[in-house]
Amino acid sequence: MFRLPFDSESFPLGKGPMVMLILFLVSTLFIFGRSEETGEKLEFWIFANTHYEEYQARVPIFEAQNPGVNVQLINFGGTMHDKLLAAMLSNFGAPDLVEVEITSIGRFLKGAIDEVGFVDLRPRLESEGWMEKLVVSRFTPWSYRGKIFGIPHDLHPVVLLYRDDLFKAAGVEMTEIETWDDFIAAGKKATRDLDGDGEIDQYALVLDRRTESDYFSLLLQQGGGFFDEEGNVIIDSELAIETLEFFTALFNEHKIATPVYGTWHGDPSNFAAMQDGKILSILSPDWYVGILKSQVPQMSGKWKAISMPAWHPGGRRTTTRGGTMIGITKQSKNPDLAWEVLKFTYFDRPGLINRYETTRIIPPLKSAWDAPIFKEPDAYLGGQPLGELLIELAPDMPPRYQNPYWSEGADLLNDAIFAAVTEKQTPREALTDLAEKVRALIAKDRGRWGDM
Amino acid sequence: MEGVSTEKYVKTATRHTEPQGIIKNLFWNQQQKIAPYLFIAPFYLLFVIFMGYPLISSLVMSLYEMRGFQSRIFVGIGNFTDLFRDPIFWKSLKNTSYFAVGTLTLQLPIALLLAILLNSKFVRGKNILRLAFFAPVLVAGVFVAIIFNLVYDQRAGLVNQEFVLFGKEIGWLNEEKYVMPAVILTGVWQWAGFNMIYFLAGLQGIRQELYEAAAVDGASWWQAFIHVTLPSLRPVIAFVFVVSMIGSLQLFDLPFILTNGGEPADAGSTIVMYLYKNGFQFMRLGYAATIGWVLFFIIAVISIVQLKLLGIFRDE
Repeated sequence: MFRLPFDSESFPLGKGPMVMLILFLVSTLFIFGRSEETGEKLEFWIFANTHYEEYQARVPIFEAQNPGVNVQLINFGGTMHDKLLAAMLSNFGAPDLVEVEITSIGRFLKGAIDEVGFVDLRPRLESEGWMEKLVVSRFTPWSYRGKIFGIPHDLHPVVLLYRDDLFKAAGVEMTEIETWDDFIAAGKKATRDLDGDGEIDQYALVLDRRTESDYFSLLLQQGGGFFDEEGNVIIDSELAIETLEFFTALFNEHKIATPVYGTWHGDPSNFAAMQDGKILSILSPDWYVGILKSQVPQMSGKWKAISMPAWHPGGRRTTTRGGTMIGITKQSKNPDLAWEVLKFTYFDRPGLINRYETTRIIPPLKSAWDAPIFKEPDAYLGGQPLGELLIELAPDMPPRYQNPYWSEGADLLNDAIFAAVTEKQTPREALTDLAEKVRALIAKDRGRWGDM
Repeated sequence: MEGVSTEKYVKTATRHTEPQGIIKNLFWNQQQKIAPYLFIAPFYLLFVIFMGYPLISSLVMSLYEMRGFQSRIFVGIGNFTDLFRDPIFWKSLKNTSYFAVGTLTLQLPIALLLAILLNSKFVRGKNILRLAFFAPVLVAGVFVAIIFNLVYDQRAGLVNQEFVLFGKEIGWLNEEKYVMPAVILTGVWQWAGFNMIYFLAGLQGIRQELYEAAAVDGASWWQAFIHVTLPSLRPVIAFVFVVSMIGSLQLFDLPFILTNGGEPADAGSTIVMYLYKNGFQFMRLGYAATIGWVLFFIIAVISIVQLKLLGIFRDE
């Protein structure tokens, strides 16, 4: 029989604690005694599942091309931004590479510009000649005070998706629409009470009045914004007020828009309303088409896309919504290698084609646009080549200037839009109040620690 | 037992009278005094690291405001004065109080009623019912919110299906006035079964003789409930009341997911949600710490008042 080299009964407190102690020592040895893997290691944090799946397939190719390199992909989902914030605050534990969402980046730009936790990528982009190869307006969401903290993952041009069958049934040919005035006229024909019970059964357009998403897209299309390039608050400009007046009029005066069903455009409730024929059109970025395809495949063939109506004849026919960047953190011990991984995942043609196949996302790398896949007919849109339309619109996308106060501003903008649409305030009052609040917030911070 | 251990102790002490054993001897002599502290040490160590330090640190933080990621600036009570002038904080406080009152007036009576029914000898299948009512607690708050997002679905949701009779699609999560009622009802679904278990345990602990005595005195069912059941349940009611109140004031995940961040017009915003937004979305950690401490004082004051009113400090 197996015998211990000492009497286990004489161990203080007996056998149980002895076993626990042994297990503790063994596991400690296992954790700390593990031999360090050889080669270079990189950590890459991601928050979007589709991106994670794409890189899972792509990273082994990079590793095969670069022996000894190990790229560890970690998908934290929605909580990733909070984890990154904690890592940057504690100056410990941040990854080498990280993707950040467009509405989340602002908070990472607070404080002195030199204290921002991301590496300024402008020198690398310029020295390697990448600036000319990418859509330049798309750097604005990821830049602040002349520094570029991230490379755009996408462009996210917006089109108008519409139900061709239902508009035609109402006597409207949507391909003839050129301006918002045209759309309002068409919308009035298409917004109808079909069964005569006094309730509208189909609305020409669905708009989100809970959040800034649709209003802000329209404002960008107009050439406006919340902040200008220098960081000044311009949300109470005449342009912004006119746009909000137009937005509220679609609900209250023209009565051709319905508020989004559920909490956002991707809510099951909204999809149900679409399937019931209650919603005839929607402002859709490229990624939203991907969501529709995966969430409501049964609507395949029912949608078609046109450029957004312009504010004036000959005006801009698109805008932008959403986005992701990739950045290299200052905590990275190997920024050169991180830069190579970045280029492989963001600037590699086969990878970008694969991305469009799965997500319908148009890449910011212009040289990838001539790939045949972008001209292929899209069955979901009844054979219309969506890629072609998106690429045609991409160069005309408006800039969206980033600002450290975006999160606070957007939170208050949501309230302002809702107050205007529900007629608690006029658009002018709502936006003037909002601008005053955000200016006061910025002034307070500047008063405390000066201009940064 | 006492004799044995003393004998062993004496033996141990006498064994080490030689000089090299003096230190060891000292330890063994002191061990009865030291041992209790060693046993409770892990708790205090963890408490200091994970509670004490963060608590003090957040109190200090509330007197500062972050200036980006690397430095901060002393603002004194500036964060507190800002907070009391912040309309979104007051709205969040109002929503949170609304939820707390809704929980106490709707959820607890329902929980008590369920407990009484399940305690009655006339109800069959008690075990299955008990499990059924308790089961929602086992579901994580995030999933509850996702499930109820479908339940409140404007077009196809279960709740509106019932309301089809009235011919109206209610935007439960889309119209300001319906948001908090929707959150309260979800809270009832999730927690009534949990509180029911406490009440049930309390009911089962009431001595049967009290009811028999009441019956002998000619008390009706209602009189027995008022004069026997409720007074006997007082400690349980007090406990459930205070714990539910604290839980209500800390409400976060349910409305955050249900309303997609508190919209529209902050109708679903709660104090903890506003704390989270300030700390993590706006990078105003000092302000967030301030909200945390104000919430702590609100909870402390309400809990003490509740316990006093419910007579928990009274000697039995």
